[in-house]
Amino acid sequence: MILFKHKGYKKAIVFCSIHIICLPFCPVYAINKGEETKNKHMDILTSLLAVGFAALIHASFQLSVSVLTMLSSHTIGAKRSHAKLMRLTLSFIIGTKVMTLLLVSFAALVLLDIFGSTVPQLVWACACGLLVGIGIAVWLFYYRREKGTSLWIPRSFAKHLNERSKATRTSAESFSLGLTGVISELLFIIGPIIVTALVLIGLPAIWQLVGLAMYTIISTLSSLTVWGLIGSGHSLSRIQKWRENNKQFLRFAGGGGLLILGFFVYVNEVVFHIVAGGM
Amino acid sequence: MVGTVVDVVKRGDRRQPEYFLRDKLHASVVAACLSVRTPAGQAESIASTVCDSVIDWLEDKPEITSQDIRIVTAKHLHTHHPDAAYMYEQYLVTI
Repeated sequence: MILFKHKGYKKAIVFCSIHIICLPFCPVYAINKGEETKNKHMDILTSLLAVGFAALIHASFQLSVSVLTMLSSHTIGAKRSHAKLMRLTLSFIIGTKVMTLLLVSFAALVLLDIFGSTVPQLVWACACGLLVGIGIAVWLFYYRREKGTSLWIPRSFAKHLNERSKATRTSAESFSLGLTGVISELLFIIGPIIVTALVLIGLPAIWQLVGLAMYTIISTLSSLTVWGLIGSGHSLSRIQKWRENNKQFLRFAGGGGLLILGFFVYVNEVVFHIVAGGM
Repeated sequence: MVGTVVDVVKRGDRRQPEYFLRDKLHASVVAACLSVRTPAGQAESIASTVCDSVIDWLEDKPEITSQDIRIVTAKHLHTHHPDAAYMYEQYLVTI
């Protein structure tokens, strides 16, 4: 209440509002931030939550799962053994993990080289704009307006992935297909990757590794789930039917997640610092 | 390869038309059946029946598109194995 009598009480109201908005995202952070502004553990926790959320958004994108479905379909259709099927699909998933790891590391390295560990608020604001833009694009364009689960990626990429998934015979080819799959999806995953890189470069070195590992593992959870289903003998048609029936939900979740992440990062990194700096 | 003298216009009209090949259709139907874990013998049997039906349909046609073949094959396959027909239809619209 003392705050309201102070000259800058309007700023205090904004400050409190931000905490209320942030509360659903990170309760511990929101409660403790006012008491201990320099508590590093809370900052790390918030950062890791943001990285985890970005990775979940990445996991909601469907290109890797589509390619995995096609690869499995061609492998089973070519009468190859179950062990071979599991080897090829696992190599594909490892490929996606490696490429995701490399992309996040590369983005972090470039951003660290340009900005150091303190990222300017303008860059944060640009990253938030990118997230919001991609979020709206996902809502509008992610799936093509036709039957099935075909995506708004360049058709030449889609054709290449389709042909390669049919021609894949060895684990090395499957691994490289996983690498290519992530590159093809870059148009949509660039937002979460950049925000993750920006968050990671502000963390201590050991936590950067933890965040990187966390992002890589969470972002491939959807592929791992499909891999598990295929391995346990589930029919590909059931998996594909589920994906087709729920594609609007997945699109809404992916786009909505990007908007929420953009809003959260904007409030946390831009608005909060402006308000805190002015007090 | 067993061929029928019917020109198949390829998707997108970018490639030269080619003759209809029963073996090619048979292989694609077998692959669709196998991909939903149908036993190999049953897959072969279904593919033969479906190919016969498709050939009956295209006999009086001088030229067809690959999309026509896909639609007619999926329709006939659906009566024998709906899941396989679904996967057959999804081939070009999964990615």
